[in-house]
Amino acid sequence: MLDISKLLEEIKQTPFDEVEIISPWCGRVSCADINEDDPVSGPCGSWLEIPGTLLASVEREHNPKPVRAPEKGRIKLIRKELEGQFIEAGTPLVTLKHFLTKQEVIQIILRQALHLFNAPERAKYYFVPEVDMKIRTAGHRSVRVNDGMDLFIMSRMKREVTLPYSGPEGLIYSVYFSHNENVGAGDPLIGVCPEELMPIVEDVVARVQAEWEEQD
Amino acid sequence: MIDVDKKLHRLNDRLVYIKDIFAGKQDEAVRMLQVRLEEFQARVSEMSSQEKMSALSAMEELFTFMEQKLNEQLTPMDKVRIVRHPQRICLRDILENVYDNYTEIGGQDDKSIDPGMLIARAYITRKRGKALHNQPVMVIGQETGHGEEFRNGGSVKPWGNAKALQYMKVAEIENIPVHTYVFTPGSYPIEDYPGAAQQIARNLYEMAGLKVPVISVFSEGGSGGAEAIGLADRRLMLSHGYYSVISPEGAAAIEGRLRDGARAAPELIERCAMQLKMTAYDNLNHGLIDQVVEEPPLGAKPYHYEFFQSLRNELMRATDEVVLTTRSFALLRGAVSHPHRPKSLENYNAENFVTRWSLSPKARERLLTLRHKKFRNLSNGRWIDPRTPFDKTLSKIQATSTDLINLFRHDLWGRRKKQIGFAVEEMDAGARMLLHRIFTPFFSFMRELVGPRPQPRIAAEELTALSSWEEDNGKSSVWSYISSKAKVDRAVTCPNADKYGCLDLWAPDLYGEFAGVCTNCGHHFPMGYKWFMYNVFDPGSIQEFNQEIEAANPLNWDGFDAKLEQAKQKTGLKSGCITFEASINNTRMCVALLAASFRGGSVGVAEGEKFLSAIERAQRKRLPLLAYVHGTAGIRIQEGTNGVIQMPRCTMGVRRYIDAGGLYLVVYDTNSYAGPVASFLGCSPYQFAIRSTNLGFAGRGVIKETTGMDIPPDYHDAEKALSRGHIQGIWDRRDIRNNLHQALLTMGGRNLYYK
Amino acid sequence: MEKHKVLIANRGEIAMRITRACQKLDLDFVCVYTAEDAHSGHVALARELGGDIYRVSSYHDANELMAVADASEATAVHPGYGFFAEDFRLSRRVTQRERGMIFIGPSWRVIRELGDKINTKRLARSLGVPTVPGSDKPIYDEMEAEHVAQSLYEFQLSSGIAQPTIMVKASAGGGGMGIEEVQDIAMFRSVYRRIRNYALRNFKDEGVLIEQRIRDFNHLEVQIVSDRSGKNPVHFGTRNCSIQSTGHQKRVEVAPGFAPDEISYAFDAAGVLSEITEHSLALARKVRYDNVGTWEWIVTRDGRPFLMEVNTRIQVENGVSGIIASIGDREGIDIIAEQIRVGLGEPLGYSQEDISLDGVGIEYRIIAEDPAAGFTPWVGRIEKFSWKQENWLEMYTQVPTDKPYDIPTEFDPNLALGIVWGRNMEEARARGAAFLNSLVLEGSDSSGNPLKSNISFLRAKTDEILRF
Repeated sequence: MLDISKLLEEIKQTPFDEVEIISPWCGRVSCADINEDDPVSGPCGSWLEIPGTLLASVEREHNPKPVRAPEKGRIKLIRKELEGQFIEAGTPLVTLKHFLTKQEVIQIILRQALHLFNAPERAKYYFVPEVDMKIRTAGHRSVRVNDGMDLFIMSRMKREVTLPYSGPEGLIYSVYFSHNENVGAGDPLIGVCPEELMPIVEDVVARVQAEWEEQD
Repeated sequence: MIDVDKKLHRLNDRLVYIKDIFAGKQDEAVRMLQVRLEEFQARVSEMSSQEKMSALSAMEELFTFMEQKLNEQLTPMDKVRIVRHPQRICLRDILENVYDNYTEIGGQDDKSIDPGMLIARAYITRKRGKALHNQPVMVIGQETGHGEEFRNGGSVKPWGNAKALQYMKVAEIENIPVHTYVFTPGSYPIEDYPGAAQQIARNLYEMAGLKVPVISVFSEGGSGGAEAIGLADRRLMLSHGYYSVISPEGAAAIEGRLRDGARAAPELIERCAMQLKMTAYDNLNHGLIDQVVEEPPLGAKPYHYEFFQSLRNELMRATDEVVLTTRSFALLRGAVSHPHRPKSLENYNAENFVTRWSLSPKARERLLTLRHKKFRNLSNGRWIDPRTPFDKTLSKIQATSTDLINLFRHDLWGRRKKQIGFAVEEMDAGARMLLHRIFTPFFSFMRELVGPRPQPRIAAEELTALSSWEEDNGKSSVWSYISSKAKVDRAVTCPNADKYGCLDLWAPDLYGEFAGVCTNCGHHFPMGYKWFMYNVFDPGSIQEFNQEIEAANPLNWDGFDAKLEQAKQKTGLKSGCITFEASINNTRMCVALLAASFRGGSVGVAEGEKFLSAIERAQRKRLPLLAYVHGTAGIRIQEGTNGVIQMPRCTMGVRRYIDAGGLYLVVYDTNSYAGPVASFLGCSPYQFAIRSTNLGFAGRGVIKETTGMDIPPDYHDAEKALSRGHIQGIWDRRDIRNNLHQALLTMGGRNLYYK
Repeated sequence: MEKHKVLIANRGEIAMRITRACQKLDLDFVCVYTAEDAHSGHVALARELGGDIYRVSSYHDANELMAVADASEATAVHPGYGFFAEDFRLSRRVTQRERGMIFIGPSWRVIRELGDKINTKRLARSLGVPTVPGSDKPIYDEMEAEHVAQSLYEFQLSSGIAQPTIMVKASAGGGGMGIEEVQDIAMFRSVYRRIRNYALRNFKDEGVLIEQRIRDFNHLEVQIVSDRSGKNPVHFGTRNCSIQSTGHQKRVEVAPGFAPDEISYAFDAAGVLSEITEHSLALARKVRYDNVGTWEWIVTRDGRPFLMEVNTRIQVENGVSGIIASIGDREGIDIIAEQIRVGLGEPLGYSQEDISLDGVGIEYRIIAEDPAAGFTPWVGRIEKFSWKQENWLEMYTQVPTDKPYDIPTEFDPNLALGIVWGRNMEEARARGAAFLNSLVLEGSDSSGNPLKSNISFLRAKTDEILRF
């Protein structure tokens, strides 16, 4: 049985997350006008249509490409010494201190509760087209999975195979992988919520909503 | 005592009203009136009732005097405040006081599909001798009420306009005139099923062919919302109303380049109101309305019964005039022809003059012809045309001779030829059948006799040697016109990169070979209009016409001459509309192109005139007509109502062209909004959008401002427009040519030269 | 030669060979790698030889490559094979951008011209170079299609083919989509219509190609090298690449293409080899081919060759041609070095008479895969990798031999290329077997299962080499 209080207490010990923001590309850096300890925001608006705070811009092939804050937080470290320099892809630019949101806390706790379906191999994963379509239009919580159902396409070594889901029947409650990124063997792909777990999930959501205070 | 209170109360109302409409101006007059009123109130308990009454009368006279004096100093912005004031007359006041009887249709107060749109069946009773004649009309108009929130200030939703349209059609069936009352600051700018623009366009299209007299009365005529019911045979305007392309506040926001709902300074708004030339007399002087109905000083209020009487009289007369001009008796038509009415009719009393308001089928046709003529001539000449009168006459003669040639070619000879063609074909088929029957037995006998037919020689040569092949240039991946954007060495990020992992594209590839399309996700980057002109049509087939017609500054808008000159310099164009003939696979078509690079593709008189001429040319030459909208921001505000009038004016042209059996295609590219979409573009039955296009009525800022709503980022995108049924398909830019060819093959009416 | 700096826009084994070629030619070079490839041998080699090294987000992103090229002041770009090797757009961009560079490969126009299969076929036919019987242009008309199909059917019957087969494919298609075979001519019309509709739906072009389906053939190649003048191409002989996986991926390549001295064929094998060589050179001259390239042929059991396509790049198996070649007294030619040299603008400096070919070369592609299970790639960690060095053996690999190595899942699972040389067929086979026997390749996957490789498959196939 899930001990929500205990988990919540644990998280409250370290309610921060440190996010290292790297440049996804090569290019020449110009830092935005921000400083350490400045607050930044991630994408927001009803449709996340307002982009996050500009942290830096990396110009590649005469195309200045913005690097933005992926979530709300404060700047812990900004590498202003890189200003004007050419950097390689993957170079860290900024470290953010991010206070966990209710949603994130819920996700952390639910990882203990949901049925996790893990990646069998290091590979890139995609939902099969029919499921992908449904997720795009109605969100992943609209997808009910059952044992043996073709759910993923596993792509590695330029080959693609379909990967059936195995486990209890239920709704996809969480998706842990993203487009075009490798998932290590044994890492979770999705968290599935079977019918009987629904009360627990609801309980977690209610508890976190009530007990977790979001901070900047 | 009650009487005194009432009168005092009313005087107080009048004072509040004056304060409101002058908004801080005319301090002295206001103070004076206020002091007098306060003095009276201070002394009222000591006065005898006689004294009270005479003091009140004196004060009433003073108020009336002051109102008259102030009336002369009204600025256009004051008039805006007048029409928006809760004390202003509303449509229900008119129904009560102008008509003899009425029934409201389709709702009570807030229980209505749209309480901002009011429909009523009403009648006017006239006497001839002892006989009473009840003359029914359909009354349609925006209902502002006196400040009730659910009326939404007369800002009508698409379904409100749809309701209006439904009852116009009812009036047409019942063969009764329509009286429309324009009391709207503008349409409610939402995209729904249908969207605002979509519905206004439908209304205009239907009104362009509505076969009953339509009389409209403008009090507050806010752009698109006004046009939704304003296309009429006679357009009256109340003297204190306004009729404008945009609200002064909106114009000020654009002029001041304000963003995100920032408020413009009152002086700027006032100046814009002045420049928009939006008052009744401004519009009359520009010929955009037919007649002004005089209101009492500082505007009509519900207790101005004399005003209602004169409005009633003008309405009956206007309706009579419209009806009479459709009659075949030239004499009668002449007698009432407007505005040079013979002296004998100056004092004609409509009450005693009974004209039947239903029309005969022939009169209905004539009505439409007259309506068309009327709108064709609106805003005439408010563009620059440097051609000499001789040139213009010559081009008119050319047009007429084309008419004659076409008449002969298609109607007389064409039909005959078709008949002959059919006959030959049928004969031919019959003869062949006969020959076949005769000879087949013989051939099969011969075959049996000779043995199996010799196999064709195995054509190894044919299978292994080079064949001849003339590659179709149209299919080749190389475009004949390459955008100048393709000459810059830089990478470009696709806006969908985060979503679909699109890699940056190299500008020379993207804007050259890829035709501005992301190879990964299919996003279409905007391209210049020249890309369309020179890559879609048969090479060398473009023949421009009317390029002399030049955008002007008909309202002498401050500083606009310079801006226009700048646009002309920058683009090398003389207006935002380019009209030309061109071919697709050798089929000729007539094209009107709105270029986004010329002042945002906004439509003014010059653009409207060119568009209309293109329609007429297409109709004359029986060509399919394509409107390629390389973006339009709407009607050009600096041309005021002259611009707005292009909405009904061009829609009328479109309607006649389609009725004549043409093919009217509209293709939207980049961004298209507001007036043009809500009229002559949005009314096409065949509208297509290039992928990644946005189209709709109002932009994000205006929607936020008027409705308080935040809209999702994809609110105006082509997929949404397709789901709403506004457009009929989404095209890939690289397929425009093929799709147009396909459209020519499968769509359109009977009266096209190639059919 | 001018001092150049070459950006090596590739990874793994080919990046290493290009690196070494640069070193040989005394050129500076720039190496790129992705996060996944941090431990790849090509990075270690670049470090060892003192080249510039940059991490990029992806080998597929041309913008990254160009940005690195500018930052490192590279003057030329070598695409290797795969990735951008036959991408005329990158080639065009490299040469036409503001800070232009040399693209080490044919000029972009040649890449584009030969990248279009219909165009290549028509070019070939215009020179009398044999191509697969059938149409050489998209067919839009049903009558014409039926006519071609009928002729093809009869043509095959008359050539003694018992079961004639016709291929119908969307001319705008590629990669195996929109292709069907017809064996019963009565079925042709319905197949044709199906493909035509498919093509119209997917490619917006209903053009269809109709060709003979050739079965039972050997896959041969001709290695061409030409300098920028495009006037005097030479060849480095032929290769036979007929030993493939079930997915038509090459596993063993042999040079020369046939061994008529040691094996008997049902046709004039020597004649066929010289015929395809001459035809390849003729086409190269016609398009003024100006770098290395491979002309791919199929040769039927009765010895009839058909040109399939031209690969406008260096190929994996170039080394097997190099190992049997000499120029004057220079033995063992590095074709990649030749490619870079002429690519940078040096004249070829020798003619066909200076080139001699001697002995037999065999290239084995060593791959972690399971031939028994349809050649499925195996994913995991390599613990041990070693072989016995010989003077007749060249080994190319990005897999480190001194530490464990996780196979990246991003790319083709090629681990190593082993190239052996023998004076004749017999010796080459024996040495090949000896090499394969000396190979140690061990590892395990995340669930502890042992590594699977194709070594025994390669050993078994060694006996079949060059036998038709």
